[in-house]
Amino acid sequence: MSSFLDARTLPKDTVLSPDLAIVGGGPAGISLALALADSGLNILLVESGGMTFEEPTQALYRGSESGVPYVALDAGRLRYLGGSTNHWGGWCRPLDEIDFEQRDWVPHSGWPFARKEIEPYFARAQELVEAGPWIYDAADRAASDSGPVITLGEGGVYTSWFQFSKTRNGILPTHFGERYRNELKAAARITPLLNANVTAIRLAHDGGQVDRLEAATLSGNRFTIKPRCVVLAAGAIETARVMLASDDVTSGGVGNGNDLVGRFFADHPIPRNVATLVLFDGRCAPFYANNVTLPNGAILRAVLSPTGAFLKSHGVVGSLTTVENEVKLDSFATAAVETTAEALGVDASQARAFSLGCGMELLPDPERRLTLSGKRDALGMPRLNLNMTIANEDFARFRKTLAELGRQLLAAKSGMLHLTYSTRAEWLKAMDWGNHHLGTTRMHVDPRKGVVDADGKVHGVGNLYVAGSSVFPTYGSSNPTMNLVALTLRLGDHLKKVMA
Amino acid sequence: MKRRGMLAGIVAVLAAGAVVGAGGAAWKFHLFGRYYPPTPYDDLLKQIADREPAAVFGHAALAAMPGANAASLARALRGRATLSELAPRDPKESRVTEVSGWVVPESVARYAALAAAV
Repeated sequence: MSSFLDARTLPKDTVLSPDLAIVGGGPAGISLALALADSGLNILLVESGGMTFEEPTQALYRGSESGVPYVALDAGRLRYLGGSTNHWGGWCRPLDEIDFEQRDWVPHSGWPFARKEIEPYFARAQELVEAGPWIYDAADRAASDSGPVITLGEGGVYTSWFQFSKTRNGILPTHFGERYRNELKAAARITPLLNANVTAIRLAHDGGQVDRLEAATLSGNRFTIKPRCVVLAAGAIETARVMLASDDVTSGGVGNGNDLVGRFFADHPIPRNVATLVLFDGRCAPFYANNVTLPNGAILRAVLSPTGAFLKSHGVVGSLTTVENEVKLDSFATAAVETTAEALGVDASQARAFSLGCGMELLPDPERRLTLSGKRDALGMPRLNLNMTIANEDFARFRKTLAELGRQLLAAKSGMLHLTYSTRAEWLKAMDWGNHHLGTTRMHVDPRKGVVDADGKVHGVGNLYVAGSSVFPTYGSSNPTMNLVALTLRLGDHLKKVMA
Repeated sequence: MKRRGMLAGIVAVLAAGAVVGAGGAAWKFHLFGRYYPPTPYDDLLKQIADREPAAVFGHAALAAMPGANAASLARALRGRATLSELAPRDPKESRVTEVSGWVVPESVARYAALAAAV
């Protein structure tokens, strides 16, 4: 049995020499360590924080933001074992097949492989996030006891499903640190190292290999890690930071020969109250506005999602529209509903209205990027600036999907839709974010277009890999956690082969 | 004489009450249609089940149709299928439009605009 090490207690100038150093103890890092527990590799899991939130450690995340208003860089993530699963919402849904495709209407799109490449890892990822039996788009039938799905005419939007990480005491989804600490402790070859901050990646003189990692604690301890192989799993912001900051051998930072590290940052915008849904018969099954738990333990919530065919035919990108709260209609809205329902020959005397929310996919944008700022943190590392962007086109494309939903409701005579926003100012005023950090070390087979290759290996550096949603070249609209865990498990299989 | 007068008064009060009650019931159960003065477009307007909300909604629809008026709308609507035929068919054939954010069949927007324009 291994035990947790506290880096603050390491003797000065210690050199640790594991086979594999995993930098970051969030869902990617923990999943990878567990996947390799029986591989025979000695694994050092390097976590900046401890077992609980500590303000001085969290403050290492601080940075600045420019462009479109965005969440403060130290607010949307957590720096202790388990990472941001310590505050996630537990929403799980696999990326769609089309998310992996090169699409003419989505610049910079195309993963190096199709979804089937990570499908074999979904089952284990689903176990790790504890989201119950794999149901997802077969849930119409599974949830039918709770009520019918909204009737929509033929078209581009359908009822799709989220599943949820198991709630604990009715409140929390799986917190990876708390949930898997015993498994980590029980694994003979995994050594979790807490309170250890990797401050630099030092490459060999030719730049082709990682020679060592420099690390430090907030208590002033400094030490070295000399692994055979390194996986950066510190999230899309910190992974980019340590790569950009490590510029002693290659100018611009590690893996940044083509000035791509930190670019293409993305998140899921979740503007509030994007539309009003009116259902003429007033019946809305409970799984639209709330989670429902099935007898088999699966926790489900229905959303309204565009089909792959609609994305192609209308040149839009992913989105997931949620039913939120029941709302009252004003006299004008009532007139709109009465007039339309009567023309359709439908009784709307029992009609009810609901506000809609959403999660949108952003188009990739190289100018939405992280750069080093002139400021430094308590360990001497450069802090980051995030330039956040969102294009009018992002709003316009999502609006097309909403309009299609409205058309399908009318075609089915089941309801109608009011679109709340039409100007950029209105959209921005309603804006919130999912805190899903994506894209800053994007994956592409061509080093001129991506930081890592199809295996997650940093182009040009033989023993350096990246795990997590920072490698997503496009983002889909599904929440990333379950998907990044699946992708990380695939990386685990790759490492078993190359490090055997 | 005095008694006769009192009876007449009671009858009058009861009659008045009956008239008021019947009127209220008729109003409540929509036994009387709302009265609108005749227009040259009544052949179209009669297809709208309730012109009052249609006109409320139609003002926004009309505002989104620059240059449109009752005559031009009527010209566009006459000789085509009826509102009850068009409204369900429009969304199936992708003929929808937005009126102040509401996604509606094009035919509904035009008829509502006519109700507002007269």
